[in-house]
Amino acid sequence: MRALVVDDSRAMRRIVGRILGDAGFEVLEAADGQEALDLLAGPGDVPELACVDWNMPVMDGLTFITEVRRHPEWRAITLMMVTTESESDQIVRALAAGAHEYLIKPFTGEAMLEKLDLLGLLPTSTGV
Amino acid sequence: MTIASAPDQALVLAAIEQVWGSMLFATADPWPTERPAEFETGLQAQIELRGEWNGRLVLTCDAGVANQIANAMLGLGPEDELDEPDVHDAVGEVLNVVGGSVKGALPGTSALGLPGVSEVTEVPSRDESFVVSWGDAPVYVQIVPDAA
Repeated sequence: MRALVVDDSRAMRRIVGRILGDAGFEVLEAADGQEALDLLAGPGDVPELACVDWNMPVMDGLTFITEVRRHPEWRAITLMMVTTESESDQIVRALAAGAHEYLIKPFTGEAMLEKLDLLGLLPTSTGV
Repeated sequence: MTIASAPDQALVLAAIEQVWGSMLFATADPWPTERPAEFETGLQAQIELRGEWNGRLVLTCDAGVANQIANAMLGLGPEDELDEPDVHDAVGEVLNVVGGSVKGALPGTSALGLPGVSEVTEVPSRDESFVVSWGDAPVYVQIVPDAA
């Protein structure tokens, strides 16, 4: 499976990428929403998962998720917002825009794996 | 004009303790007021908060401490050498997560800016800061309201 990590922090991309890599994902990276859209529109298989930061330059994560949901060919991508935005109204906005899951920074690797398990995206997932 | 309550020292310290513990696997303790907290060259990260309270959070530390923080965040050894952009990025992201925790605890709706990181040669005034520990080194934290 392929996962796309969208975050303007290179350190955060490395951390999330390492967790996903250890879970068996092939990891792609983008530094903002526009770069991620360009990557999706390019050659190669569409990833099964995208982990998306909210606050980024050029194009933020909420706009990226909205754009992805407008494209039928990207409907199969599971979208997880990974962000410092912790207020309930922000979580509602992200889910309404099309995010499937929401993970608040700071987080642990275990917390991210639990979310992936709930989404049925781990090899051992029960998809509960 | 109503002046909303600023994020206080206890709130910011709690956010730092949370981030130090969960992202950096370290503890952050208040630095003793009588203990010197000097360094020569360092990094300063800043992030703006916009909402009922407007201002910025500022984190300043020695360049070597910044490298250690970046290494801890990335799971590297304390003496591993990272490129300068990687250190700046990691320290900025640490403050970004601290800022997010602070923002979430403030009343009303606030927006968080993007972190900025620069080199500094002057240690902040202790009268305008509180100091927490990174191991055996000081990290200055400032809560700076916009000028009236």
